[in-house]
Amino acid sequence: MLNIIACFKWVVDEADVKIDAKSRALLMERVGYKISDYDRNAIEEAVRLQEQHGGNVVAATVGPSTAKQCLKDALSRGPERADFINDPSFVDLEPEQTAAILATAIKAKEEYDLIICGEGSSDLYAQQVGPALAERLGIPCATCVNKLTLAESKKEIIAERKLDDGMEVVSMPLPALVTVLPDINTPRIPTLKQVLGAAKKPVDNITLNDLGQTYKPCLQTTGILAATMERRRLKFGADEKNILVIIGALLKEGVIA
Amino acid sequence: MAGIWIFAENREQTLELLNAGRNLAQDFKAKVVTFALNVHLAEEYINHGSDEVLLLPLLGQDQSLESYVPVIAEVARQEDPDVFFIGGTQRGREIAARVAARLNTGLCGGCTGYKVDQKNKLLLMNRMILGGAAVQTVVCTTRPQMAVIPPRTFEQAPLMEGRQGKVIELPAAQPSAVKVINRTPKVQESVDLTEAKIIVSVGRGMEKKEDLSLALELAGVLGGEVGCSRPVAEELHWLPEERYMGISGKKVKPDLYIGLGVSGQIQHITGIRDSKIIFGINRDENAPIFEAADYGIVGDLYEVVPKLIKELKVLLKK
Ligand SMILES: Cc1cc2nc3c(=O)[nH]c(=O)nc-3n(C[C@H](O)[C@H](O)[C@H](O)COP(=O)(O)OP(=O)(O)OC[C@H]3O[C@@H](n4cnc5c(N)ncnc54)[C@H](O)[C@@H]3O)c2cc1C
Ligand SMILES: Nc1ncnc2c1ncn2[C@@H]1O[C@H](COP(=O)(O)O)[C@@H](O)[C@H]1O
Repeated sequence: MLNIIACFKWVVDEADVKIDAKSRALLMERVGYKISDYDRNAIEEAVRLQEQHGGNVVAATVGPSTAKQCLKDALSRGPERADFINDPSFVDLEPEQTAAILATAIKAKEEYDLIICGEGSSDLYAQQVGPALAERLGIPCATCVNKLTLAESKKEIIAERKLDDGMEVVSMPLPALVTVLPDINTPRIPTLKQVLGAAKKPVDNITLNDLGQTYKPCLQTTGILAATMERRRLKFGADEKNILVIIGALLKEGVIA
Repeated sequence: MAGIWIFAENREQTLELLNAGRNLAQDFKAKVVTFALNVHLAEEYINHGSDEVLLLPLLGQDQSLESYVPVIAEVARQEDPDVFFIGGTQRGREIAARVAARLNTGLCGGCTGYKVDQKNKLLLMNRMILGGAAVQTVVCTTRPQMAVIPPRTFEQAPLMEGRQGKVIELPAAQPSAVKVINRTPKVQESVDLTEAKIIVSVGRGMEKKEDLSLALELAGVLGGEVGCSRPVAEELHWLPEERYMGISGKKVKPDLYIGLGVSGQIQHITGIRDSKIIFGINRDENAPIFEAADYGIVGDLYEVVPKLIKELKVLLKK
């Protein structure tokens, strides 16, 4: 039996973000939202371990109160229950705030053996919330994990980490936290039945008031500038004539010889 | 012992951060303090500009670098550095996040550069957001101001003449509950994409591993190297991890980048932004690669690439 918490973030779909070339401002009017890409792997891994060893999976997220849609999406992927830790002010949180908020909520109401986070969020990609949360909870952690197995004693987890200098296999006593790489698994696509069933699953609504404290950021944002690129953006068809034109251009640019 | 503090897991990155640290030390009128894994490195760091070195204790066989976190956080708590830079390897990122959490301070992860506000002794630090679609500038209002700095952001600090510095030995680390049970070092890749003049990049539009031969042949004709998108390396395992480009992979700056079946999502583009010319081949005319490219061919790579190779062979006389 394993009680697992999978942490996921509800993020702007970066493919929808448009840029005002002149002011280099980000235009966010018509953006959609999604579960942060690699958090789908975190949820999948939690569900996979639960299927194998029994137990419970809770999907936990910190976000603005308007992010309700995320719950159905997350729950359709297999967890039994969700912790929706929300407040209107929980927008553009810094990773350190998110970690502190998750830590308070988890300490207050969850009994867990394992916490699974994604490698990094699609919007900030800070790779910070997981390890910072582990510190705040005082539990061991392993980042960049691409394979997880429960030890025979069921009191330890074996994690295979993929790092710059090679592979490292570690064992940690439970409770522990891991952050998982996207190649740890292939997330299932929820079936229609799972999507419909998700609406009936319980959600614990945890508010700032329940948390009983405030969370100030240590980092202040002083500016955001869209990255722009000067490119020709010439599009051609696939026939020989066009290929020759492009080769000619590349020769002229002096990038091939 | 306030000052500019530096920790990186290897010598190269420590020297890079030392270079930045030396400059900051002047702005902040502070000293540079560097962590070292052994006496030999300690001496070297002093010779390259560190004023003081904190010598980390030896680790047990079953301990990983991350078990230094309590030692690093404790000495930082006592000595109150102004700035703390950590080298952005994967281990470095974990260590930075955990040390920052222990010190209750802010951390700019993936800091790609900064400006100094000399009057207030603050760093205006840049980081990429939304997969690299924008750069955000942040200021850390607590101490120390922490940043994770990716490898090769700065040149290595040069050797300086007649340097002297103090080496302070840190106490032994409490063994961590995380025990290493096996290590498999990585075989070093012979190809360094960051140095390549021409890169042929393979995306998921390629149907099977055998078809890599098409990319290899094209690269061969052009005298370039083959790289890829993250899923090609990490999900399909067709090419080593060192070959993928993007926000979490290599940042490259070739004269020519050719994408074959690469969609051109922002996380990938972020790694190839500094290419002189970008050329994309994709059968979907709405693929984002065409927005990022100088030249694009809308077509099936299996038709276009053989033709391209044929014409190049003729024109380049190869
Ligand atoms: C936090 C985070 C970090 C990431 N970091 C990176 C990174 O560093 N690097 C990276 O690359 N990605 C990264 N990604 C993933 C990135 O978002 C994209 O998913 C990935 O780059 C897509 O790879 P692709 O273009 O190979 O595949 P796809 O997006 O699947 O595109 C395949 C393309 O091939 C085209 N195609 C198919 N068949 C053919 C054919 N026969 N001929 C021509 N064209 C064809 C299709 O039209 C399509 O456009 C990251 C994602 C996240 C969330
Ligand atoms: N708002 C959030 N709510 C829940 N989990 C989060 C949140 N933000 C980040 N996480 C988790 O922390 C991981 C790393 O995020 P980051 O530090 O922003 O890169 C994500 O993959 C999630 O698992």
